[in-house]
Amino acid sequence: MALGRDGIAGLVLLALSLALLVQSLSLPQVPLVPVGPGFYPRLVLGFLAITSAALVVQDVLARRAGAAAVRWALHRLVAATFAIVAAYCFLLPYLGYRLATPLFVAGLQAALEPPRGAREWAWLAAVALGATAVTYLSFETYLLVLLPRGTWTGW
Amino acid sequence: MVELLGQGLADILHWKYLVPLFFGTLAGVVGGALPGVTITLTIIVVLPFTFGLDPLQGLAAMTGVYVGGSAGGLITACLLGIPGTPSAIATTFDGFPMSRKGEPGRAVWLGTWASFFGGLLGGAFLILVTGPLAAIALEFGPWEYFSLFVLAMAMVAGLAESSMTKGLVSTAIGLLVTVIGTDPIMGVPRFTFGTDFIAAGFPFLPVLIGIFAFAQIMTDIEKMGAPKPAGAAAVAAPSLKVAHLKVIAEIMSRPVLLLWSTIVGIVIGVLPAIGGSAANMLAYDQAKKFSKRPKKFGTGIPEGIVASESSNNANVGGSLVTIMAFGIPGDAVTAVMLGAMTIHGIQSGPLFVSQHPKLAYGIYAAYILAHFLMVAIIWLSALFLLRITRVRLAVLAPVVMVLCVVGAYALNNTMQGVYVLLLFGVIGYALVKAGFPLAPLILGLILGDQIEINLVRSIMTDDNPWLFVTRPISGGLLLAAAVSVVLAVWQHRRHRAKAPAAAEGPDF
Repeated sequence: MALGRDGIAGLVLLALSLALLVQSLSLPQVPLVPVGPGFYPRLVLGFLAITSAALVVQDVLARRAGAAAVRWALHRLVAATFAIVAAYCFLLPYLGYRLATPLFVAGLQAALEPPRGAREWAWLAAVALGATAVTYLSFETYLLVLLPRGTWTGW
Repeated sequence: MVELLGQGLADILHWKYLVPLFFGTLAGVVGGALPGVTITLTIIVVLPFTFGLDPLQGLAAMTGVYVGGSAGGLITACLLGIPGTPSAIATTFDGFPMSRKGEPGRAVWLGTWASFFGGLLGGAFLILVTGPLAAIALEFGPWEYFSLFVLAMAMVAGLAESSMTKGLVSTAIGLLVTVIGTDPIMGVPRFTFGTDFIAAGFPFLPVLIGIFAFAQIMTDIEKMGAPKPAGAAAVAAPSLKVAHLKVIAEIMSRPVLLLWSTIVGIVIGVLPAIGGSAANMLAYDQAKKFSKRPKKFGTGIPEGIVASESSNNANVGGSLVTIMAFGIPGDAVTAVMLGAMTIHGIQSGPLFVSQHPKLAYGIYAAYILAHFLMVAIIWLSALFLLRITRVRLAVLAPVVMVLCVVGAYALNNTMQGVYVLLLFGVIGYALVKAGFPLAPLILGLILGDQIEINLVRSIMTDDNPWLFVTRPISGGLLLAAAVSVVLAVWQHRRHRAKAPAAAEGPDF
């Protein structure tokens, strides 16, 4: 019996809800109170477990396994974008906003649409520097939001 | 009430509020016009700019985004044949054919003026009904609130296009996110696994921004690699010159259509988390059903444009009623507004209008004035906006993501919000790819804490569980929830029987 996309998602969520249900049993029961801190999470997790199980059953009954073919070529760009965003988020406190942001904007633009020729590279750099300058000035100067400084660069 | 509204209008006309309202409306019109950028994404981008403003300035800007965004989608819908936002899908059906017949100005301005009148009628409803509804909500005890939230979630889960079960699973995931962290009644840590990172739970706005913005942008990025569909050609060098009085007369000669579409928009807006995308389709469908010439729909007739555009702007008024009277967001846009209010220390709900009349009437005034600004912005810049809509995603996506990161960071000036944003960005995209609708998840996320607080409070007051059913309002609300689930199951079955192999698209 092969499971389809919904069946796999249902199984993952069912496993998660059951694991957390077990964990919720260790939550303390507060005296003199009819319901403790574990009462509501158990309701929610029970609800998630039941609906996830229903999703698995529906998938099995519908026999749609393998119906949705994933077009991996389309997801390569998405995976690259996620990787670049993750790198930006993790490097931000080390490089600082003023250095990490132009690198991120330029990097992501180049990944999404690789520039061809000097003119496109210049446009890419202008967007990266312009976006950083405008956001930095708007937030730090006018909106008084202190953006991250880099622990490696001090910038 | 009139005096307070007058005061609100006088406040908003002050440059201090008028400037954020103008820029909010402008951002809304631009965001609405950009295909692939929804009003939710626009308000998420605008959100960090409101942190340094006072509450009314921030809410005026957001109200402007909401109103402007609801109308902005019509420009690309009419001139390019591509709806700028889901709330302008039905506008495309008649707006684009009318433009291609050589009347682009008529199409755009029928839509703009219909948005204007529909929005103002929605505003009248907002002003007149919010107070009385809040007074009714004041009578609610924890049982009624719990049942109301259950009704809201049942309705939204039932409206999920893909499957009712997935809607319910999505709701449960949203609720699950809210139980992680310190419990709201006794302060006991739950599912934190000993880490400080989530000791206080996941902050609401980074979760919301992560789920919505990433799901939206990544889905758009996917399409970059896909072959382009052979769409209809855009209207070449359109002229939008039109006799405005004639266009207004054309709308006013259909008072029943305007009023009925507005009512549809308002009702859909009042119902939690449904939004303008459903309102415009339903209003269009209703207009077609009641029309004497239903076969003409889709060929470029004014009725289709008027129905769609008046309903999506009236929908904004309805959504604001729900958030201001009950503290329940009508859709994702008002969820962000609710989050912004919380940041400013303002509690939305039945006491909001009586405790913060200056703010409440300021929002009403901003809502009304935003419609005038919206008309002015479209009048001055529709063709220029059409050029902006051709900004490439490769340029737009990094800038939007930077603003999302800044928004998440600026909440507490810590990196925690940024990491939460990234985590939920991945989760949101994975859920969309797995075919789970996001609206029920967001509603579960928004209402989770309140559901728990009201459930526990009701049990602490009286541990008789039958009170949820025997108290008339609570029982009525639970009955409505059950009816809505049964209706949804019936509709899904009927739909499946009619179109068993319908393709599934992302359901934001």
